[in-house]
Amino acid sequence: MILVRQETSPEDIGGMNVAQGILTVRGGMTSHAAVVARGMGKCCVAGCKDVNIDEEKRQFRVNGNIVKEGDWITLDGSTGNIMLGKIKLIQPELSGNFAQLMKWADEIRKLNVRTNADTPHDAQVARNFGAEGIGLCRTEHMFFEGKRIDAVREMILSDTEKERRKALSKILPMQKGDFKEIFKVMDGYPVTIRLLDPPLHEFLPHTEEEIEALAKEMNVSIEKLKEKSNSLKEFNPMLGHRGCRLGITYPEIYEMQVQAIFEAACELAKNGKKIEPEIMIPLVGHINELKYTKERLIKVADEVMEKLGVKIKYMVGTMIELPRAAITADKIAAEAEFFSFGTNDLTQTTFGLSRDDAGNFLPFYIENKILPKDPFVAIDQDGVGELIKMGVEKGRAARAGLKVGICGEHGGEPSSVEFCHKIGLNYVSCSPFRVPIARLAAAHAVLKEGRADIISTTA
Amino acid sequence: MKKKYVYFFGSGGAEGRTDMKALLGGKGANIAEMTNLGIPVPPGFTISTEACNEYFKNNKRYPEGLWDEVEKNLARLEEMMGRKFGSNSQPLLVSVRSGARASMPGMMDTVLNLGLNKNTLKGIIEMTGNERFAYDAYRRFITMFSSVVLGIKKKKKKTENGSEVEINQFEEIMDEVKKKYNAELDTDLDVEALKLLVEKYKAVVKKETGKDFPEEPKEQLMMSVNAVFESWNNQRAITYRKLYSIPDNWGTAVNVQTMVFGNMGDTSGTGVAFTRNPATGEKKFYGEFLMNAQGEDVVAGIRTPQSIDELKERMPEVYKSLVEIYQKLENHYKDMQDIEFTIQDRKLYMLQTRTGKRTAAAAVKIAVEMVKEGLIDKRTAILRVEPEQLDQLLHPTVDPKAKVEVIAKGLPASPGAGIGKVVFTAESAQEMSSKGDIG
Repeated sequence: MILVRQETSPEDIGGMNVAQGILTVRGGMTSHAAVVARGMGKCCVAGCKDVNIDEEKRQFRVNGNIVKEGDWITLDGSTGNIMLGKIKLIQPELSGNFAQLMKWADEIRKLNVRTNADTPHDAQVARNFGAEGIGLCRTEHMFFEGKRIDAVREMILSDTEKERRKALSKILPMQKGDFKEIFKVMDGYPVTIRLLDPPLHEFLPHTEEEIEALAKEMNVSIEKLKEKSNSLKEFNPMLGHRGCRLGITYPEIYEMQVQAIFEAACELAKNGKKIEPEIMIPLVGHINELKYTKERLIKVADEVMEKLGVKIKYMVGTMIELPRAAITADKIAAEAEFFSFGTNDLTQTTFGLSRDDAGNFLPFYIENKILPKDPFVAIDQDGVGELIKMGVEKGRAARAGLKVGICGEHGGEPSSVEFCHKIGLNYVSCSPFRVPIARLAAAHAVLKEGRADIISTTA
Repeated sequence: MKKKYVYFFGSGGAEGRTDMKALLGGKGANIAEMTNLGIPVPPGFTISTEACNEYFKNNKRYPEGLWDEVEKNLARLEEMMGRKFGSNSQPLLVSVRSGARASMPGMMDTVLNLGLNKNTLKGIIEMTGNERFAYDAYRRFITMFSSVVLGIKKKKKKTENGSEVEINQFEEIMDEVKKKYNAELDTDLDVEALKLLVEKYKAVVKKETGKDFPEEPKEQLMMSVNAVFESWNNQRAITYRKLYSIPDNWGTAVNVQTMVFGNMGDTSGTGVAFTRNPATGEKKFYGEFLMNAQGEDVVAGIRTPQSIDELKERMPEVYKSLVEIYQKLENHYKDMQDIEFTIQDRKLYMLQTRTGKRTAAAAVKIAVEMVKEGLIDKRTAILRVEPEQLDQLLHPTVDPKAKVEVIAKGLPASPGAGIGKVVFTAESAQEMSSKGDIG
């Protein structure tokens, strides 16, 4: 299928995942559709204003053509072209010379390259591209899939902890199943799992119609649903009730997730599989947040391991995505066994700008050289980079051999990869289709050391 | 000591080298290198990028001593060639080309056959015994000089249905004359037709500039050098530099080179070639040429060029030397080269060599195969492929041979190509997928 939308939103993830390509009428290169499609390695043509969608007639008009639901089209996400019918495609050839060159790059590079993957499918794609582990497995995407969203919404609408636990127990087996599959695919390579990060209102419907439908389905009054939805509304969700703040106020969510991770890992370990989960706690700004959360998680982990009679090696670490976390990295490293710099959010919080609201000025800034480059594309080495450097140095001073990586979109951008090499990170993590790019960039970083005569053209 | 601004090349020796790109520009440095390698390159000289920078610093005046140096090098060139610039006997003609450190679109391109006027034209006819050739060169010179040096722009004209189009006056005249003489191609025009072209072209220049077409060869040369300098700061060049973060103070060099003629008849020609296939990377000489033509004809698509393989049939000796030269160049630069050549009466001259642009697939193939051939080491091979380029290789792509009907264009937001049935909601996509409809 080719999914044709005005624009996409997080609820469309499932549909995007099964589609061969995505076409949107609105939105640019950093729109939701574009970012998610790049992450999934699917083609996407965005912002095609000529397309007029008629939802009722289930068709779209474009430059005098009418395309109905079920008609075949071909998208070229490299040129932006939209074509009628089935056009012959050429599949990528990744063996032979390509494989040879990548092998040479692997011999030279020092950085490990991991992937950001939330599904067994993405994990498999990334393995085929040579990923050496998962640096970021976002668990919220698992919450949207299929019928799970119902249980998640039930949990959100619950008034008591008991009700919440009941709803969460429905999600548990599904999350466990996901983790099991992902562990299997990664076959012994490390897997970093980030506990739930986004604010809860992202899981609730927004339009009047959707709210009505959901109220009916869940057998609650529209008023109650609206009230709940309003109570979760935030002025600034990026800085709101999310990340470990959520895990601290609703500990049962993280407990369920950790239970799912350890049950999955222990069951596989029993069958002789080597599993090394790395539990990552998001949005830590103060050491006490990490301490508080970690204590409870370890308890759950111990319980599961005891119950299943297996001991596995695991780590608890944190995302560094707030300037305060980077500045107090020495204190945080006392509790964190690894750091993963979430450079998307760290860029937002360091610049104090919301990426979703940057469209009105960021392009002007780049055009007029007020900023040399888009800091969401290439790491701002002087500012955000300096914070990362400080975080690495302070962290390793407090805990020798602290494992450090990055897991923002920057992890697959060559000049950022070079920077990560220079400051001595252990790994970069990027979307599956950027893995070969990161592998080659990491080799370039080694070869360019002390060679001013080689100028990176991608910088 | 006075600064040196002009670097000579010719007869197996050059004052420049390939590692002097900052000073001589990419083209000038590689011409010097080829000369030093003993490859046949028409002799000439390169005016340095420093001269260009001084020109702008000095309020658009030449730095002290520059023109003296140009005259001295011109004299050296005359002596080497046994010809005289501006003379009616054995006249020397030159080409003038820009050449920055990195190849940059938007810069002044090329003026060929510079030095032609009523007098030297006679000299050329006498020297070659080929009146048609001489007039063909003359009309080309006027066209190029007028557009790139005199800046005669396209003219707006109303069409029959009332809309306005921009037309090139020289092309318009060419079409009129072709029609008048029943000629299909420019090579079908005879001397009389070419004479008429020259006359009509000069009239356009007079009308557009209010002055006669410059006759004095040294004035023509100075005007061309100025035009190259000026083109460094034209709007297109500035925009391009901004886009690719090229510093404004690089400046451009100017290459002045003895003309060789690919339009001297059916034993002459011109072409461009790559030492390996730039699309696939296949190790096979790849290129095109045109008989009886000058450089710009191949690029401009005035006639359909022939594949380089046909040169083997037509002029086996020339082809053999071309193969020897391209192999020598590739072995020397240890990378795939993009070359330009001209054949003047069965004699081969190289006009340019540079690292060839290539697709990601070609970059990978060439890098790996050159290691296997022992030309480069693994480290060099790795650096030959830009990481970002790999993105082209990792996704399915539209078969370039497929016939396509593009109905609209949006932003290329995520690479690769996909085929599928149109759906409008995420739910119906999932529904179809669960029914096993993977369309």
